[in-house]
Amino acid sequence: MTETAAPTSAIVVEEQETRPGFIGTNIPRKEDRRLVQGEGVFFDDVKRHGMGFVHFVRAPYAHAKIVSVDVSRALELKDVYGTLTGDEVAILTDPFFEMSVPPGSEIKDYALAVGKTRFVGEPVVAVVAATRELARDAAELVEVEYEPLEPLVDARAALEPEAPILHEDAGSNLVWEGVFDWGDWEGCVAEADRIVRIKELHFDRFSSTPLECSGCLVEFNRGTGQWTMYCNHQMPGIGAIWMAPALRVGTDKLRFVTQDIGGAFGNKICLHPYFVACCLLARKLNRPVQWTEWRTDQHTANAHGNERWFEDTEVAVKADGTLLGFKTSAIDDCGAFPRYEPLGCIIWAQVTPGCYRWQNIHVDFTQVATNKSPVSPNRGYSRMQHLWFTERVIDIVAHELGLDPVEVRKRNYVKEDEFPWTTPNGCIYDSGDYARCLDIALELIGYDGIEERREDAENRGKLLGVGIGSTLDSGTNNFGQSMLLNPDLQFSGNNEVATVKLDIFGEVVVTLGTVPQGQGHETTAAQVVADALGITPDEVTVRPGHDTYWNSHAGFSGTYASQFAVTGLGAVKGAVDQLAGEIRTIAAAVLGGVPEEAVVLEGGFAKLRANPEAAIPFMGIGAIVNANNAVLPEEVRDVTLNCRYVYVPPFEVPDTERKYGNLTLTYATQIHVCVLEVDPETGAYEIVDYAAVDDCGNRIHPQIVEGQVHGATAQALGAATHETFTYDEQGNLLTPNFYDYHVPHALDMPPIKTGYIESPSPFTSLGAKGMGEGGGAGIHAVCAALQDALRPVGNPIVHESCNPPHRVWELISNPEESRGRVAVESR
Amino acid sequence: MLLASVEYACPGSVDEALSLLAANPNGRALAGGQTLVNVLKARIAAAELLVDLNGIPGFREIRETDGALELGPMVTYTQLARSEEVLRSRPILAEVAAQIADVQVRNRGTLGGNLCSSDPTNHLPPVLVAVGATMTIAGASGTRTVPAEEFFLGVYLTAVGPGELLTGISVPRRQAGDGFASVTIGADGTCIANAAASVNGGVRVALGCVSAKPVLLEVPSADEESVRSAVAGAQLDPPSDIHAPAAYRRQLAGVLAARALRQASGAA
Amino acid sequence: MSAPVAQKTISVEVNGTTYERDVEARRLLVHFLRDDLDLTGTHVGCDTGNCGACSVIVDGTLLKSCMMLAIQADGASIETVEGLGTDGELSSLQQAFSEHHALQCGYCTPGMLMSAKALLDENPEPTEGEIRRAIQGNICRCTGYVNIVEAISAAAEAST
Repeated sequence: MTETAAPTSAIVVEEQETRPGFIGTNIPRKEDRRLVQGEGVFFDDVKRHGMGFVHFVRAPYAHAKIVSVDVSRALELKDVYGTLTGDEVAILTDPFFEMSVPPGSEIKDYALAVGKTRFVGEPVVAVVAATRELARDAAELVEVEYEPLEPLVDARAALEPEAPILHEDAGSNLVWEGVFDWGDWEGCVAEADRIVRIKELHFDRFSSTPLECSGCLVEFNRGTGQWTMYCNHQMPGIGAIWMAPALRVGTDKLRFVTQDIGGAFGNKICLHPYFVACCLLARKLNRPVQWTEWRTDQHTANAHGNERWFEDTEVAVKADGTLLGFKTSAIDDCGAFPRYEPLGCIIWAQVTPGCYRWQNIHVDFTQVATNKSPVSPNRGYSRMQHLWFTERVIDIVAHELGLDPVEVRKRNYVKEDEFPWTTPNGCIYDSGDYARCLDIALELIGYDGIEERREDAENRGKLLGVGIGSTLDSGTNNFGQSMLLNPDLQFSGNNEVATVKLDIFGEVVVTLGTVPQGQGHETTAAQVVADALGITPDEVTVRPGHDTYWNSHAGFSGTYASQFAVTGLGAVKGAVDQLAGEIRTIAAAVLGGVPEEAVVLEGGFAKLRANPEAAIPFMGIGAIVNANNAVLPEEVRDVTLNCRYVYVPPFEVPDTERKYGNLTLTYATQIHVCVLEVDPETGAYEIVDYAAVDDCGNRIHPQIVEGQVHGATAQALGAATHETFTYDEQGNLLTPNFYDYHVPHALDMPPIKTGYIESPSPFTSLGAKGMGEGGGAGIHAVCAALQDALRPVGNPIVHESCNPPHRVWELISNPEESRGRVAVESR
Repeated sequence: MLLASVEYACPGSVDEALSLLAANPNGRALAGGQTLVNVLKARIAAAELLVDLNGIPGFREIRETDGALELGPMVTYTQLARSEEVLRSRPILAEVAAQIADVQVRNRGTLGGNLCSSDPTNHLPPVLVAVGATMTIAGASGTRTVPAEEFFLGVYLTAVGPGELLTGISVPRRQAGDGFASVTIGADGTCIANAAASVNGGVRVALGCVSAKPVLLEVPSADEESVRSAVAGAQLDPPSDIHAPAAYRRQLAGVLAARALRQASGAA
Repeated sequence: MSAPVAQKTISVEVNGTTYERDVEARRLLVHFLRDDLDLTGTHVGCDTGNCGACSVIVDGTLLKSCMMLAIQADGASIETVEGLGTDGELSSLQQAFSEHHALQCGYCTPGMLMSAKALLDENPEPTEGEIRRAIQGNICRCTGYVNIVEAISAAAEAST
């Protein structure tokens, strides 16, 4: 294991797993059998006697003072069990802790709106009744008087002197601001042949919108003061850190239980306000309460991805296309409450130079609050926005300087023999071969023949474009990066837990600290355990889901940030190696006091290497240790066959002065190429060819890896073509459901060609890298392809991340508008 | 997602349905439910009584007569898309019905429901206007027939008044070609703009999504220039929304009208 | 004359078992299946009839059970995901979904399987385009549909 190794000095390279084993093969997923039969257990499938259903009364105004709340008519309705108001919440709980420095840290965030509403859909009152329908009926009887205030919708105006202030306690809409200055920006300007200026680029709001919305069933145990939440929270460790102080209890009073989760993608991290309201209701009403979020609720008031503006960008370039550095001002819109923010103000720095060798980077970063739904981590969290920016910059620079975007990329990519590569801000890219990935992707779409296809499209009245998205999927966070935002935060490193035990009848049982949502953790954990114990994955039971009372839970437990293959499986590997050792210890003692090394594990038996006839089945070992231990010699009686391992990645606390240090452990790569055809009369376009090439080191289960690539691509293509959370000037969300927020269906998706290479990570026990988020490669590739396609019609600049047909038509019909955003200065 | 309290009745005849609606001013006819049930889930509109039309005999019938295709109001999109009679007598209806929403919605959603909801983004209203369909409406005082261009009155508003029912749709059998073109939100999604054209005796082009109801243009001849200038002359004032600013819809109206007409002329 | 009712005892056959229950007229079929009959395999993923997670087959017709009232199903025969396998054996479609990794979180899967079943019942040898059209009303946020299309195609091939 690597837990003692510092990444910069002594990199410990684990001996490669011997293959063939189950690792690296496509075994059937253990999860599938129940899921294809409708026998999964999602939170909304859990029922309890006498449970009440929660319905939230939600704010109709983006910004308003709450003048009065009257629940009396709701309470008069038969079979209404009770209500909860903001006033009660303010008395019974403390505000959730904030991670920012002043003024952002002064923001008061509660389970329900207290005094004011700050976004449409914000929960104001909760009502509980005997049926779902009745709870909604009662909610309609709650009378809330509002005094509307001026809403703030545009993040760029948030710091203007006349802007309405959301949080009077903070006195400003500023959540966080800071300057990141690495290398020598002024120096590289002096060295540059060209400075390319880009006035404004905008990354739209969207989210992964998991098909299962959020929710929980909460039971309160009056005798112990403990709450059990059957739920779909994807990061219980952080959830408990938020909830426990707010509820004024210790974290052990909060038990999170999940089994199957219908997708999460980061969007199920910030559920604590809803869960706290449900906890208070379960205690107040002395009955289990159940809350199911509906789609419209999820869209209006749960988890949006970060919206970001990049203003006044300058790029320093040599005439041959060598990129020297860039400077930009980023304005990030986190919505009405920061919650997981301002972490997004640093997470992007995991991939500061993108895939490139840029050395001089200057970013002024500002995050502000607006009267929109709060944001939450969203697949590709914060890096996606930044990678979109860097990829946009590459293509704009290439086109403006008349260079080939493929050549500019290859000239500036970190080269295969340069790994591990240290970025200007101290991140260590572990391994990879970006140029090779790009070549494979180009070959998959037949790049050699692209000019003929362009001509063919032109003959059909279409404009063909080809675009590249180069991304890094940085995984396994060093939470020490939070200290670059707020040096007083006491977070650093990372951890994850697994237990593996051998039970009395020889059952091998694994519990995970992770919270799977479709990533196949039961399957891949079983592969690792099977290989280590010499059995088959079918003989390994991996408990589905997560339970904070399993003792396989640590502060950072959860499933997020592309890390399971490293942290989750690292913990499993550590635990099963311990168990294998213990099995050998017992076998060695029982088989005649031979040394442990003389024992091998094979086919469910511990055998003597020299004499395989001398063997004891795992069942025998399990039975002896668990129920017949007096037969054992004294010196092995401390063996429990119940092994717990905490995986701790080899991180250091970053340098807060220089904002420097390694922020993640692994860097998977996805390079995508998109070919599309635009109808110049309508702006509608069709993706006619698409390739995605992935490199996540050693692949534990190739089919699962490929599935993640497909899914990340689909989400990115949705975000590139249609998905935006658009607000009107009053702060009303105009895309609150799947009618207006169009996610890709089967006819929208082009066939996806996939390729891969494996550049094993030198920093992880299995040579694997976390993957799954994908960095939004599809968004970048579509934008680049549009930019390429539209060159013959005025060469407009694609400056939005989301480009539905009407935006494309606007680019075509008025190219001068976007052309005005770009200028090239020769020096 | 959760409906307000409502009563339900499933009448076995048109007369019974009419008297139920007459007795309950806040009653609503429930056809396929693919729009109405969603409206009720959102509690945007209230209904005290749902009069389910699924039990009325003959409402799902498709018949060919000498000159016309007679369609019951509860004919589903799936029926329209597959019916031999439709494919023979007015295939554009089948072609367009197959583009609406998805299999599940097509299985349940009905022609009458599509027309009576009079959502400006619906596919079928401009088609029925272009092909010169007529609608039969029944009420307490008997039945009347309304041409399609007079049927649609505005957003969610048709000639079917309170206490009335749409009981039949009559479409002339085709003599020449029809066409339809659209730009949608995603493949086969909701229309951002659409246009239907017919060259069956005169050139009729109907534009959807650009006004509260389909805009019928009588075009002097079936060439692109004529139709473009007819669209330009229509002084369209389309709505703006997140899917399309007005100027974009205006642009699409011209493009799609020309494309629909091209299809109609080509098939003639 | 069918008198208006706010509540009714309905009789429904689901996967071969007949159930009689009192329902309010306003109860959606999907909530009847999930909450009243405890058949929780059928899921809810939206509130506007777009996602298809609640797809079931009623009297041979594939539909979304969030856009039908339970009271309208009185006397109907309904097939849900729980009825796809026989005696604990997976159907060839279920098997193909697993083999081709056509599910990740599994939330859309029950509805997707019902749409696929409806397709293959009617068209045993669909083209890729026909498969995509058949599942257009079912949203999946995990797979990009690639492996779902493959699995349905494989199931079709296996049974012809």
